[in-house]
Amino acid sequence: MAVGNSAMILETGAGWTRGLNNVLRAEFGRWFRSRMWWIQILIWTTMLNGFLLVVVFSTPDEAREVGPMIFSALLGIGGPIGVSIIMQDVLAGEKRSGTAAWVLSKPLSRAAFVVAKLVANVVGVAVTMVLVPGVISYLIMTFVAHVDLPLAGYAAALGVHLVNLLFYLTVTLMLGAIFNSSAVVIGIPLAFLFFQQWLPNLWAPLAKVIPFSLTMPTGDAESSSIATALMAGVRPETFLPLIATLAASVVFVAVALWGFQRQEL
Amino acid sequence: MELVIDTHGLSKSYKQVNALKPLSLQVPKNSIFGFLGPNGAGKTTTIKLLLGLIRPTSGSASIFGLDMARNSVAIRARVGYLPQDPRFYEHMTARQILDYTAHFFFKGPADEIAKRVAETLELVGLPDKADRPIKGFSGGERQRLGIAQAQVNYPDLLILDEPAASLDPMGRRDVLEVMERLRKYTTVFYCTHILDDVQRVSDTVAILNHGELVAYGPIEDLLAAGEGLAYEVALEGDVESAYQRVASQPWVTGIKAKPRNGSTHWIVAVADGEAAKAQLLRLLLADEALVVTDFHRKERELEDVFIRIVEGGQHGSGQ
Repeated sequence: MAVGNSAMILETGAGWTRGLNNVLRAEFGRWFRSRMWWIQILIWTTMLNGFLLVVVFSTPDEAREVGPMIFSALLGIGGPIGVSIIMQDVLAGEKRSGTAAWVLSKPLSRAAFVVAKLVANVVGVAVTMVLVPGVISYLIMTFVAHVDLPLAGYAAALGVHLVNLLFYLTVTLMLGAIFNSSAVVIGIPLAFLFFQQWLPNLWAPLAKVIPFSLTMPTGDAESSSIATALMAGVRPETFLPLIATLAASVVFVAVALWGFQRQEL
Repeated sequence: MELVIDTHGLSKSYKQVNALKPLSLQVPKNSIFGFLGPNGAGKTTTIKLLLGLIRPTSGSASIFGLDMARNSVAIRARVGYLPQDPRFYEHMTARQILDYTAHFFFKGPADEIAKRVAETLELVGLPDKADRPIKGFSGGERQRLGIAQAQVNYPDLLILDEPAASLDPMGRRDVLEVMERLRKYTTVFYCTHILDDVQRVSDTVAILNHGELVAYGPIEDLLAAGEGLAYEVALEGDVESAYQRVASQPWVTGIKAKPRNGSTHWIVAVADGEAAKAQLLRLLLADEALVVTDFHRKERELEDVFIRIVEGGQHGSGQ
């Protein structure tokens, strides 16, 4: 390539990482050098922490039990909806609009394109939907409701929430890599979100692997989700749903990489 | 002759539709190669195949001697591409788009990249809109930005899909000037519907129709092939006897006559250029009842050739 009298240094990287840093820079910019980060933080803190404050002030005696449960249930249901909405356009939208074809006409590997989208969105979701509302929630429970929550357990519970959101993020990413239709890309994760609790009726062992039990109680009134158990400092009965959800997310990423490689842009 | 693009039986089918029938094409280094055809002829499909955006059904291609399928990223590192309908991230500004594009090709230093970005913005006439989000850009401004991002990396091969679309006449002129200026350093492979532009700047032309290569070769050969020579004549006065006299010459193959602005306009098709050059004007001037107001050899227009080939369903290569 003729670069004239320029002193620019050519990018010579090869393999799947070619272009990764540049797309990562742009994707992090989309999250954190625009209004997106504070809009997302505003939405999730208002929803999660606002509701928690209402509960703490209206039923202060029950805050120890109800507080973590409310936080987990809201994030467990609202989070996947938010993630699916955010992710629906990440690959499918770019394929439809033509920006994916434009970017991939540059020296960039398709794997780098998908990985950069995944990493930036995982970090964006983790910060705006889990970390910031989670920390505020902990402060409310500790200093407003005067409930003593174990910090390590609480942090672990936030990790469980992140794994739950990772499941929906990666499944939406995978569907976006394969399909162009928004209805399919957002519809399948949301349908799974709302109907998964009935899957064990079809085959009981599914109860031990579906992500539902990460954030929502699946058994009788005494049972708790993995996240709420950890928040209370109690060891959950099983970590199998956590492992299964993580494994499913890895499979979704692998299928997304394979599927996007075969896409015609 | 050093080739930049070399395809062998490259084809693309979608279910029952042959978007591109086996295409064998050679694009020489430093040429301005016009790739023509009506809508849906397979031009954009060919470009997408060359860029690795879609996979061929059969055949192969090499660019800079590198295999298209195995070395796609290395090829794209030396290519600048303007899509037919350029789409960029709407939230970014023109400067950010160019900076983003440049960073796929260059590691740094940042100030040199910024300098190149500014230089490219200047070249396409967008310096005063550089820091506005693209969301508010007109079609012409997007096209200019598209041209800028295609050449920010000093490409060895510039692939332009309808580069003058959405541009006003000045913008169109600027694009042609940029292409001519770049010829020294780069090879330009471009699709367009504006045949005047092709005739002005291209040295080689290929015409696709229904996914099939129907004409291909140096532009002079394409213009010269086919219908043969013709002369255009404008006459005033009684043309009847002159018509009989000219039409009876053995080297005249036909005369098309039509009135225009009070005179008579002829297109005289001839089989023997030398005989026509020596005798046609003399034959006309010999008639004292006639005034010859115009006489010249008809320049063949690419548009005529294109329409004849596409509408006439001519097949085969001109080369």
